[in-house]
Amino acid sequence: MTLKSTRVALVLLAVGVLVGAAPGEIRAAEADYNHVSITSSAPPESVRWYSEHLGCEAVADRDDTADCFGVEVTFVPQPTMGSTQGTGVNHIGFSYADLTAKMADLESIGVRGSGVRLQRFPGGATLREATGGYLHGYIFDPWGTRIELVEDQENVGFHHVHLSATDPQATLAWYEQMFGGERAVHADADEGVRFGSVWVFASEHPEGTPATTQGRAVDHIGFVVDDIDAASAELRAAGVEFQEEPVVPENGRSAARRAFIYAPDNVRLAMVETGFAGVDTTSIAPVFVDVTEPYDTPRTPWDEPDLQGVWTGNASHGIPLERPEDLADIESLTPEQAAARRERGTLGSIWGYEREWRDTTLGYDPNAPSTQVAMIVDPPDGRIPALTSEGERRAAQLAFDRGRYTNSNIAGPEEATPFVRCITRGLPSLMFPGVYNNGLQIYQGPGFVAIQKEMIHETRVVPTTSRPKDGPTLTSWLGSAQGRWDGDTLVVETTNLNARASFRGSSPDMILTERFTRISPTRLEYQFTVDDPVVWTAPFTGRFTYDMDDEQYELVEYACHEGNYGMFNILSGARARDREAAEAAGR
Amino acid sequence: MTKTHTFRITAGVAAIVLAIAAPALAQSGDAPRTWDDRPDLNGVWQTMSSANWNLEDHPSGPGHPDLGAIGAIPPGQGVVVGGAIPYQDEARQRRDENFANRMSADPEAKCFMPGVPRATYLPYPMQIIQGDRKILMIYGFADANRTIHMDKDDPEAPPLDSWMGRSHGRWEDDTLVVDAEGFLGEAWFDRAGNFASNQLRVQERYTPMGPNVIRYEATVEDPTVFTRPWDISLLLYRRLEENARVLEFKCIEYSEDLLYGHLRREPTR
Repeated sequence: MTLKSTRVALVLLAVGVLVGAAPGEIRAAEADYNHVSITSSAPPESVRWYSEHLGCEAVADRDDTADCFGVEVTFVPQPTMGSTQGTGVNHIGFSYADLTAKMADLESIGVRGSGVRLQRFPGGATLREATGGYLHGYIFDPWGTRIELVEDQENVGFHHVHLSATDPQATLAWYEQMFGGERAVHADADEGVRFGSVWVFASEHPEGTPATTQGRAVDHIGFVVDDIDAASAELRAAGVEFQEEPVVPENGRSAARRAFIYAPDNVRLAMVETGFAGVDTTSIAPVFVDVTEPYDTPRTPWDEPDLQGVWTGNASHGIPLERPEDLADIESLTPEQAAARRERGTLGSIWGYEREWRDTTLGYDPNAPSTQVAMIVDPPDGRIPALTSEGERRAAQLAFDRGRYTNSNIAGPEEATPFVRCITRGLPSLMFPGVYNNGLQIYQGPGFVAIQKEMIHETRVVPTTSRPKDGPTLTSWLGSAQGRWDGDTLVVETTNLNARASFRGSSPDMILTERFTRISPTRLEYQFTVDDPVVWTAPFTGRFTYDMDDEQYELVEYACHEGNYGMFNILSGARARDREAAEAAGR
Repeated sequence: MTKTHTFRITAGVAAIVLAIAAPALAQSGDAPRTWDDRPDLNGVWQTMSSANWNLEDHPSGPGHPDLGAIGAIPPGQGVVVGGAIPYQDEARQRRDENFANRMSADPEAKCFMPGVPRATYLPYPMQIIQGDRKILMIYGFADANRTIHMDKDDPEAPPLDSWMGRSHGRWEDDTLVVDAEGFLGEAWFDRAGNFASNQLRVQERYTPMGPNVIRYEATVEDPTVFTRPWDISLLLYRRLEENARVLEFKCIEYSEDLLYGHLRREPTR
């Protein structure tokens, strides 16, 4: 309801601007604000996010576009070079009638699972009064776009585009001169150019020249004109440079044309013809690995199966350990479901990390997300077998330890998890794909395989010839590994675990058996069997795959402990809260 | 560009000098060989020098009083060719300050990665896994390791500085020559506070002297800290025990009191 009336209002305002333009005034083109183009790793998920959190609506037959109160927000699947900040488009703005309630909603969702990141003002508030007397605050979308939320009762919906300009006055004059618009002052404070209900604001860029928007979170902004030929001629006459002449883009959904021009401050700007309906981009052509053919594993020069190289688990990121109950009878996901799941998995495992941190959303990973329903393949129902009573006790203890770290002011580093302390993620967890630094490098020499994980840097040395067994008191975080070749499969059996980085309550009795098998020229299957009768009533086996990425991926040194500023901050924060609590109690 | 050039020439000269000075030691003799007739360095190795206490000659000295004689510095013969590290004056002062503050300032105390060449002569075993494209060196402290890229004809500049640097290797006859650079400049060379900056470049030479001994030589160059490049030379012995391996030594939890003790609810520092 609200949406429709807003859209009508937008059209009316646009007409108003046209009528209001004084005859003889120099205007290169009479344009209306049309769209924002945002780079995204999963456009359908972005549409869902903008609909769920900002009130936009999906557009029929366009899974890459959200209708945000009359302005199109289009998501383009391409690798991103980073967030909006530092470019010529600092942020975009949305207005809500009751911003206090809106922000409370967004805060209550929490970043984990939603990817809604809040920017807090000094003191911790998410909202405050702007110079113009209205309430405002900032959030980020999961793809790096900074979004201002304002309370502007007269203009609810997509509210503005805020530019970062070397000369704000000149920039605003340029938009007015080139595209029509109306110079006006918002809330008696913010100078801007008004295109219907959409404002274009400009602030002074803090230092130097803004970076180009192209390839960043907001790739470009777009205006719509009735006569693109006339508008182009006039823009050219006004000295505007074209990056791309007006053409019907490849895979355009309509016969309408689009041109790209260079706006001031390195802003990439699209000018589209009326009726333009975007471009049909079917994601970053993912590679589906064909594993139907039997594969002969290459041999090393010393005649052992050759598993050497850099592999990543990025395609497998998002596969749940256990089969979800609502997917009980599904053989595998569709590619679309798989892409959506991985994207949500990424959002679910971030605590406000920028997109640049996340391997799976950067757009460079060539492989399609795995369609595998769950890691656990045995038992066949995909569920971990029942816990023993000792298993229940151990799992509860683990949950208590984790909860203490998450929910209380820890007394010292040992109350944090081994992962937060940079010690280990434990076995088999350290093998699982994560949100970033998913590199796995396998090294081999005669009789030895080394398995190295990039995340917090851990290396496991596996002898493939029989070695004397370690005594039962020689335990360690990653245990003692004994390998052997079963045909072309590397089998690794690990015992002597100290169980201090427990896997769901696993005990020191756990025997972990892993199997590494190359199943195609570029794919490595990883299987793990957990046998721990102290904790589970039966063993269970999971599997997922790694993909060869020797060409572009190199493991970097993840000096986790050496740079663990997080631990200083967690502990000093906990002590500050201790002091606050003591003061409150003494009052 | 120029820097690389200078480095190569210097290293070349050093190599010639060493070759002339120690011809008898350059015999790889009956050392095992690989599929392609290179020396086979695969195995678990360990130095028996006191280099990690001090690269230079040093008498015995006191350690932390709480540890009695256990913490004392044992005497040691230096491994620096020519005896002394050619420090610039200011850098020598910094080394002395490092020594005075070593109990809390030595990255080893903090369980930080040891850097190069220190990783080689830590008092723990190291394992070499020598493949046909990469050589992995795994050290028994702080999960430190290095990849020696043997398959890069045109060595790439390190993408970023790191504790263990970036290493490119090649064979010169029976010697594995490794050029390492791209260091953070925060690592120390030993418990005596010897150090370098992020301008450090190290050229290492691993030469088998028979089946169970490798001569390890390293040329250390850092124009901001030293007056000239200098060399160390020591021996690595094969660990011959049947069950010899590099044990996991995740030392982080033993460093946490030192690093975070002042932030505990009940402060310990």
